[in-house]
Amino acid sequence: MEVQKEAQRIMTLSVWKMYHSRMQRGGLRLHRSLQLSLVMRSARELYLSAKVEALEPEVSLPPTLPSDPRLHPPREAESTAETATPDGEHPSPEPMDTQEAPTAEETSAYCAPRPAKVSRKRRSSSLSDGGDAGLVPSKKARLEEKEEEEGASSEVADRLQPPPAQAEGAFPNLARVLQRRFSGLLNCSPAAPPTAPPACEAKPACRPADSMLNVLVRAVVAF
Amino acid sequence: MRPTAVKSNRSLCLGHHRCWERVLGLLTRLGGASPLMHQPPPASCSSSCECARVGVRVSALAPAAAPCPAPRQLPCPRLPEPPSRGTSTLIPARLGPWCSPTGSPAPLSCETGCGEGSWILVCRLLVPTQVSLLSMEEDIDTRKINNSFLRDHSYATEADIISTVEFNHTGELLATGDKGGRVVIFQREQESKNQVHRRGEYNVYSTFQSHEPEFDYLKSLEIEEKINKIRWLPQQNAAYFLLSTNDKTVKLWKVSERDKRPEGYNLKDEEGRLRDPATITTLRVPVLRPMDLMVEATPRRVFANAHTYHINSISVNSDYETYMSADDLRINLWNFEITNQSFNIVDIKPANMEELTEVITAAEFHPHHCNTFVYSSSKGTIRLCDMRASALCDRHTKFFEEPEDPSNRSFFSEIISSISDVKFSHSGRYIMTRDYLTVKVWDLNMENRPIETYQVHDYLRSKLCSLYENDCIFDKFECVWNGSDSVIMTGSYNNFFRMFDRNTKRDVTLEASRENSKPRAILKPRKVCVGGKRRKDEISVDSLDFSKKILHTAWHPSENIIAVAATNNLYIFQDKVN
Repeated sequence: MEVQKEAQRIMTLSVWKMYHSRMQRGGLRLHRSLQLSLVMRSARELYLSAKVEALEPEVSLPPTLPSDPRLHPPREAESTAETATPDGEHPSPEPMDTQEAPTAEETSAYCAPRPAKVSRKRRSSSLSDGGDAGLVPSKKARLEEKEEEEGASSEVADRLQPPPAQAEGAFPNLARVLQRRFSGLLNCSPAAPPTAPPACEAKPACRPADSMLNVLVRAVVAF
Repeated sequence: MRPTAVKSNRSLCLGHHRCWERVLGLLTRLGGASPLMHQPPPASCSSSCECARVGVRVSALAPAAAPCPAPRQLPCPRLPEPPSRGTSTLIPARLGPWCSPTGSPAPLSCETGCGEGSWILVCRLLVPTQVSLLSMEEDIDTRKINNSFLRDHSYATEADIISTVEFNHTGELLATGDKGGRVVIFQREQESKNQVHRRGEYNVYSTFQSHEPEFDYLKSLEIEEKINKIRWLPQQNAAYFLLSTNDKTVKLWKVSERDKRPEGYNLKDEEGRLRDPATITTLRVPVLRPMDLMVEATPRRVFANAHTYHINSISVNSDYETYMSADDLRINLWNFEITNQSFNIVDIKPANMEELTEVITAAEFHPHHCNTFVYSSSKGTIRLCDMRASALCDRHTKFFEEPEDPSNRSFFSEIISSISDVKFSHSGRYIMTRDYLTVKVWDLNMENRPIETYQVHDYLRSKLCSLYENDCIFDKFECVWNGSDSVIMTGSYNNFFRMFDRNTKRDVTLEASRENSKPRAILKPRKVCVGGKRRKDEISVDSLDFSKKILHTAWHPSENIIAVAATNNLYIFQDKVN
C-alpha cells in the first residue's frame, strides 16, 4: 500500500508539474515534459505492479499480449492534440517491473517520512490549492459516475480472463497492461514482499484508485 | 558594411548613430552629397539608435526594429558607476587588494593540476543591473509575478541570474549572459609595472542587451530572452566577435573599441548641430583626436526562425566559417555570412510525436576536425557524426553508451542519466559528459564505456525523490576542461564546485560564497559528510542549500583561472603559485 500511495503521489506530482509547465515563460519545454512523462510512466507501472501484487496471483497464467502498453484510451483524440507534450512512450522491458518493486520499497520507505512535505503549502502554488489543483478534485467528482462502467471492465481485467483482442468496456488497454504485469510477475519469483490485504478486499479498494489512475492518465493525454 | 555615396535624399544606416558623422564627413569630402533630409543625430549618446527610421539598407543586420544598443561610454575602470536601481551594487565589487601570482607573472603550467596548487579568490563581480531597454518600459515586478515558478531566492532580480559563462580563445575576455538577455564582457586587467599585483583581475569591458523577450503570435508563446549560450569566435582583427543565443534566435555580435574620434567638421559644430552655411568661411580637414575608450557592440547577424524547439547549444566549427545550433530535436548548420538559410544536419523528430523517447541535449564540434561533431541525448548516449558521410547525419558514425548498472537502477534512473553537457577535450581525443550525478570521460576510440567516471555528488542518489519534488533533478550542470585536459571541473549545490585531476585521481570540493570571500583568502576544500558522524568542518547532506547551485563554470584556456557563476555573482579564482 505504501508503494501504491507513493507511486500515486508521484504521479499526481508529475501531472501537476506538467500542467504548470505550460504556464511557464518560454512555453512548454520538450525535454522537461519528456522527463516528467517518463517519471509518470515509471510511477504508473510501479503503481500497477504494486496493485497487482496485492491481488495475489491465484489465476492461471494467460498468454501474454504483444508488448505495446498503451494506457491511453482516447489515443485517437490525443494524436490531434498538440505535439508539444509527448508521452515518451516506449515498451518497457519486463524485468523492470519486478526490479522496480523492490527498489520502490526503498524509495517509498525513504519518502514515507516525508508526507509532511507533500502537504506543506508550496510557495507559488500548492497541491491543495483549490484553483490550481482543481484538476485532481474535479476528476474525483467524476469518479462516482464513472465507477459503474469502469468497475465492470476492471473487474473483467482483474479476473484475468484471456483478454479479447477487441476493445472491452472503456479501457481495453488497461486490461492488457494489467495482464502483462501479471505475467511478468509470475515469470519471476515474487521477490517483493507480499502486501497484506487479500485479493477480495483489495479489489474494491483498488477499483476507485484504478479509476483515479486512468483519470490522471487522461489528464496527461489532454495536454 | 561600407558606406556608399548615394544620390538620394535618404541617408545610410551603418548600425549606430555615431556613424552619421562619419558618413557626413565622407560625403562632404566627395563633394557630391545632396542635402540630407535626415534628422541630425541627437547630441547625447545615450538614446537608442536612430538608424532604424531612416536607413536605406540594413541588409545582413538586424531587422529595422531591432534595438541597436547605443555605444555607451565606459567609465575609466577605477571610477565606480553610479548605482542603478535594484539592489545589485556597483561594478565590480572589489573586496580589496588581491593576491596575484608572486614572482614572475608567467602563467602557471597547467600541469600543477588542482590538488597541488591552491585556489584564491581574485574578484567577485556582480552582474550590473543596468537599466535595460526592456526594464525601462516594463515594470519588473509584473515579470516576477507572471513567473509562477519564481522560487524563494534572495537575489536581487531574476534577470540578474547568470546563465552562461565563456572565456574567449586567449582568455583575455570573459563573457557572461544572464536571464535578462544581457551580455556582460569582462576584460583582464593588463599587467603594469607599478601595479603588478592587480594582474588577473577582470573588469567590465562592455555590456549590451543581446536579446529581448519576444512573442510568438502563432503559438501564443513568449520567447524568453535568457541567454542560453555564448561562444566566441577566434579573433581575426581588432574587433571581437561572439555568438549569443536565446531559445530561438542566434546573434553574432561585434565588439569593437573606439579611442579616436574625428573633430573639425565643416558642416557641424562640436556638438553635432548643423552650422548655418552662411557662417562657414573656411574649410578644414577633420582630424582624428584621441578620446576616452569606448567599447561598442553591434549586432552583425541575426539567425532567426530556424528552430521549432528550444536551442540548447551552439558550437563554432574549426573552419571558422560555419557553426551549428542544436535544439531538442534538430541541429542546424549555419554559415556566418548567410542568415536566411541553414542546413539541417540532424533530425531526430519521429513521425509520430507520441513515439518520442529522447531529445538532443547538447552538441559540439570537434576542435580540430571540421567535419566531426557530437551530440548527446537525454538517454545518456552520445553520437559522433561525420558530415562527410551524408548531408543529413541521422546515422551516427560512433555511438557511445555505457550499459546501465542494474544495481543502481532506481525510479528516477532515466532522468538522471540524461546528459546535460558534452565537451570535447582541447586535444580532441576525449569527450566529457555530465549527467546529474557523474562526470564521465570518454575516449573517442572506445564506444562501449567511458574511460573515467567521477562521482560529483553521489550522496544525492538517495534523495532523488525530494530532488524531484523541488525540481532540482532537472538542473543542467555544465562541465569544463582545463587548458591541458588534465583537470575537469563541474558544479554542484550549495555553491560547491568540484575539480577532478585525471592524472593524480584526486578531487577537491570548493565553495564560491560571499562569506568566504576575503582578500588573499585561499579556498578551503569542503567536504560533505554522508555518514552519521559529522566532523567539524563538514556539511551534512540535509543542510545543503539546493537553491544555490553552480551550473555554469569556465576555465581559462591556458592558465589556471576559473570563472564560477553562482546565481548573480561571478567569482574568479586563480591558482596561487607558491
